[in-house]
Amino acid sequence: MKHCSLLLFLSVMMVIGSCKKDEPIETNKFGKISFQFAHKVNGLALVTDTLIYVNAAGNEYLVNEVQYFISDVILHNSDGSDFMINQDGGIHYVDTDIPSTFSWAVTTDIPVGNYSSVSFTFGISEAKNQSNMFPNPPERDMFWPEFLGGGYHYMKLNGKWLDTLSQVTPFNFHLGIGQIYAHDVINVDSITGFVQNYFTVTVPNSSFAINENQTTSMELIMNIESWFDTPHVWDFNYWGGSIMQNQQAMQTAKENGADVFTIGTIQ
Amino acid sequence: MLLVKKIFFLLLFLIPGIFFSCKKEVPIQQIIITDTTGYNPTPYSITVPWYFPTIMNIPADNPLTVEGIYLGRCLFYDQRFSGYQAPDSQMSCSSCHWQSKAFECGIDGPFPGGHPIGIGGNYTPHYMLPLFNLVWQNNGYLWSGLIRPDNPVTSKRRLEDLVWMGVYAKHEMYSDSNRVLAAIQNIPGYKILFKKAFGTENITFELMAKAIGQFVRSIVSCHSKFDQYLLGQTSLTPSESSGFVLFVTETGADCFHCHGGDGNPLFSTYLYYNNGKDTVFGDPMDHYGITGDPMDIGAYKAPTLRNCELTGPYMHDGRFTTLDQVIDFYSEGVVWSPSISPLMHKVNDGGAQLTPQQKADLKAFLLTLTDQTLLSNPDYGPPPEFP
Repeated sequence: MKHCSLLLFLSVMMVIGSCKKDEPIETNKFGKISFQFAHKVNGLALVTDTLIYVNAAGNEYLVNEVQYFISDVILHNSDGSDFMINQDGGIHYVDTDIPSTFSWAVTTDIPVGNYSSVSFTFGISEAKNQSNMFPNPPERDMFWPEFLGGGYHYMKLNGKWLDTLSQVTPFNFHLGIGQIYAHDVINVDSITGFVQNYFTVTVPNSSFAINENQTTSMELIMNIESWFDTPHVWDFNYWGGSIMQNQQAMQTAKENGADVFTIGTIQ
Repeated sequence: MLLVKKIFFLLLFLIPGIFFSCKKEVPIQQIIITDTTGYNPTPYSITVPWYFPTIMNIPADNPLTVEGIYLGRCLFYDQRFSGYQAPDSQMSCSSCHWQSKAFECGIDGPFPGGHPIGIGGNYTPHYMLPLFNLVWQNNGYLWSGLIRPDNPVTSKRRLEDLVWMGVYAKHEMYSDSNRVLAAIQNIPGYKILFKKAFGTENITFELMAKAIGQFVRSIVSCHSKFDQYLLGQTSLTPSESSGFVLFVTETGADCFHCHGGDGNPLFSTYLYYNNGKDTVFGDPMDHYGITGDPMDIGAYKAPTLRNCELTGPYMHDGRFTTLDQVIDFYSEGVVWSPSISPLMHKVNDGGAQLTPQQKADLKAFLLTLTDQTLLSNPDYGPPPEFP
């Protein structure tokens, strides 16, 4: 009987908890939040397809497009509680070719209060990054081949740089699940393991308030040049134009990605 | 004991609740037909494997129905549809779009060499694209993407609009809608079919276009060997498997960024790329001709690779006659131009630099995309009889 009661209790809790969208916060006053995504280089709005940028390594480069996922956005309340946004599976896709992706209006009620910061996962966590979960474009076209770990690209940053031979050479700065190759033989038959390269971004200076029946709009800025500087100076002439099968390169990019986002306008 | 029973029954209700309470909603195409005229067409559902896209490009005013698709099938295959009487001028959509060639003309079909010539004696501006899985194309039709929802020319937005364009074009039927109407509208059998499909015997060209649009949207390719592989019903040979690896790896041939793969079973993003064929451009009907964006100079829609065994010659201008030539091009023939797609990241090496064995493996994989069911499905063939 004791076991039955325990089972019943657990089941009830699972039913209640299984679809619960957000962390419980004791309040009956709510507001909303929306995110706006902006893309800048050296503080100015991204100008695509023009060879006008120079990275920390001195490479002249252009950006064609940036496509990426952020997920598991957490709003950190000043009272110590956290509120995770689970709308749309907690995953949002941004694509500089599709302006409608620049805005993510979260319809979930957010408890009013002062929040100290925002953090999120850049890419998609291992638990959520399931192959074929996006059957439709544009997210579908981010798929990461099963042989290489499956799921989806965290990011495609496509562009070109002026190489040492003064050739304008394409680069595919792509992040996703990495592979470990036995004896450094880059062949799928020699893969011995996979590496989850998603990472947490805590956006600095991102305190904000949620007010009752109001929507707080928060601008998140991806500073593209930051992918190529601190802590590692990224030299395209060293890493080349494709890195999906180069875990060392993706690890470097991942470490550079921690400070790529800054906060813009909050209103 | 009674309490245990109660708990058992409670659990019986609760446990399914755990599983279903979070079930993700999937888009379902809603077909709502208001039966105001006494007709009641049967909604038609496209059946595909689980990994196919769920969002379909079906206009709200032209839902798929069994009757509409059948009517479209009759019109698609009816030689009278050109509006001409003379046997040497009569033609239908199927005159060029052969089922046995994945609904294009192929290299050894009606036009030796594979470049279609219309009734007006003109060659088509581009070589053909196949007609299947169009129901999942949302980024424009034709190599250039001319037919797209945001086209300022409102008569060039829908798949249906390609019907009148085909009728009028010198390089296709070189006819006109009045002539076609005159040929079709007084055929008693068609009046019956239009009544069943659209609730009216008042045949218009727009309704003909809608019917053909429905039939074409119903043509689906999802039964290739590769589909069977994805469904766990067969395995690939070592050569096919090696080719598949080459297809989806950056260090291999890196086809997948534009042409899909295990995460995109359509085998195309249907986006537009300059894939590095040329250094000089002059075709006014490339994607640049649509967008005016210099990065689209020399860019064309990536065609699906499903059934590519049958759809040569290849590229918008048919410059390659065999798959081997296509693979050779991507291996060592890619050339740089300012608008080349960044995804062609091996351009300064001339391409993927494949060995002869790798080329053979890649071709073996491409041949797994041939769908014999598409080529022989009687539902896609001529109707048992014409009205």
